[in-house]
Amino acid sequence: MANEAEKNPGILLLGAGLLVLLGVMGTVWLPYFDDSVVTPTDTAKIRNYPTDSAEARGKHVYIREGCIWCHSQQVRPVKADSKLGPVTVPGDYYYDKPLTTMTQRTGPDLMWVGTRYSADWQHQHLLNPQKIAGPASIMPKYDYLSEQDRNDLVAYLLSLKPAPQKK
Amino acid sequence: MAQSTVQGVPARIPKGSATVKIFFYTSIFYLLASMVLGLVVALKSVNPEFLTSNRFLQEYFTYGRLRPTHTNTALIGWLTSVYFGVMYYGVPALCKRQLWSEKIGMFTAVLWNINYIAGAISILAGYQTGVEYAELPLLFDIVVVICVGLTFWNLIQTTRHRQEKILYVSMWYWLGSILNLAIVYIIGNLPVAWIGSGSIQMGYYYFYLHNIIGLWFTVVGVGTIYYLLPKLVQRPIYSHKLSLIGFWMIVAFYSWNGPHHLVNGPIPVWLMKAGIIPSILLLIPVWSVLANIIGTMKGVWYKVSQNLALKFLITGALFYGLACIQGPFQSLMGPHAILHFTYWTVGHAHMPLFGGFSFVAFSAVYYMLPRLTYRHIYSRALMNWHYWLSVIGFLIFAFAMWTAGIIQGFEWMDGKQLGSAFLQMLESLHIFLISRAVGGSLMFLGQIAFAWNVWRSVKAGQLVTADDPILVSR
Repeated sequence: MANEAEKNPGILLLGAGLLVLLGVMGTVWLPYFDDSVVTPTDTAKIRNYPTDSAEARGKHVYIREGCIWCHSQQVRPVKADSKLGPVTVPGDYYYDKPLTTMTQRTGPDLMWVGTRYSADWQHQHLLNPQKIAGPASIMPKYDYLSEQDRNDLVAYLLSLKPAPQKK
Repeated sequence: MAQSTVQGVPARIPKGSATVKIFFYTSIFYLLASMVLGLVVALKSVNPEFLTSNRFLQEYFTYGRLRPTHTNTALIGWLTSVYFGVMYYGVPALCKRQLWSEKIGMFTAVLWNINYIAGAISILAGYQTGVEYAELPLLFDIVVVICVGLTFWNLIQTTRHRQEKILYVSMWYWLGSILNLAIVYIIGNLPVAWIGSGSIQMGYYYFYLHNIIGLWFTVVGVGTIYYLLPKLVQRPIYSHKLSLIGFWMIVAFYSWNGPHHLVNGPIPVWLMKAGIIPSILLLIPVWSVLANIIGTMKGVWYKVSQNLALKFLITGALFYGLACIQGPFQSLMGPHAILHFTYWTVGHAHMPLFGGFSFVAFSAVYYMLPRLTYRHIYSRALMNWHYWLSVIGFLIFAFAMWTAGIIQGFEWMDGKQLGSAFLQMLESLHIFLISRAVGGSLMFLGQIAFAWNVWRSVKAGQLVTADDPILVSR
């Protein structure tokens, strides 16, 4: 049978709220105290774009057009990521605002895409992915972007590379 | 004006709550909209040229803007709205009184809808924030929190002035979930500038991404199961204690689950462990729910074949259980290394949200609508069409995604991670992407049957009679 405490919505809400906040403390707040999380790496410094630089505007285009929904930016120490380049560490994302690791890899990972292709290739590929990458590509054409937006986006993509000393 | 305006219904029976009706009707609109958006996204994955005939469509209906609009319309538009409707109906029912303030309720419902529609348009217009499931710009987030606050206040006041001393377990789940929603939504939508560095944001975003499901959709859904099941089978829940244990375990363990989305990723190992261990422990509350359902159903399983609302409810509970077997499995480092980033997660995400809790919500609408409009559901045949198209469509959809995900994972391990090798892998997925669109189309057809049935019920459903049992049991 129900006891007295069970009839009290105050106890219920206080308890539930505290338990949820405990999880928040553990997984959201505690990382502030981990050096590996709060120390920027050299790679992170490459991604620390000055306000209103081409790269910063390009990152905005990258999010606005939803490139994030098909391209991850995260290389894991696992076999499935073995050819993608250096494994990423927390500090690499230090200056990312907002973060663009994301959760889908419908297209290839772009963490280090700046080391792979030239500016010219990127422009041609954005205009017509099927022509440049192959007819099987399901990437939309971004020929509707303004010249400025496309230049910024390519500048951003080319900036995505590891710091030199990270082999 | 008389208390009742429905012909043939005794005057002592209160008029159905307008707040609940607004939430129910608009949620069904969003359900259809999210299905259309999802289908367009699926077709664009089959053929990227789909719906790109002019510059306007190209820009505003590009895949990358449609996808977050689809997820938001399903999560915020459909499931959250229908959940609000369920709670605005269920809390007063369990308190044996009217909603504390119908006016505030209606205001909340209208504000909620205007806000969501404007928010969805802003995503299509290019203002998405880039944070998964939290794509709405800040302005709309603030209004969401206001609406959640108003709902919380309204339902708490209803609870404080209740006529029934006992707080039935559904009340626990519902009231707790509204508080959870406020906490989770605020943390997940804090402006980037306040949070700090990118590596810190991971904690916030993945906490939100996971717990909008775990602490909101799950908790309301389970509370709704506990509300509907005893009504539909006409016997008390098997174990009251078990349902309370489940409640405390959900709030205790779910809130830790965020980091399991970053297993093998750029977070410290201790944080991965802090995410994985509670993910495994989640099996306890999930099984407490399922055990309670099985216990309650013992000896009356035959009723599933007679009562269509019960059929939806039990199917929803089954898919919820299956999703929660997948979840802990995926959170382990080995399976995660193969399945993360693949289409598997798309299949997995749809299992609790469509197969699980949308089915619970369908059951709730079928149960509650006659008690709001005093008209019976128009057509049992349409309910069956809704059920079977949804189940079969979902299974085709989900198995296509799971298979595609496993192929992706293993092909990547074979080295097909970049360039032409990646495209080769992509080609082998084509048939599964087509299957997804086929499954999705069936799901959509099912929802058309649902929407049509609701429309016809409200307009032309058979009126309840004065001695109808639904007038007694809310």
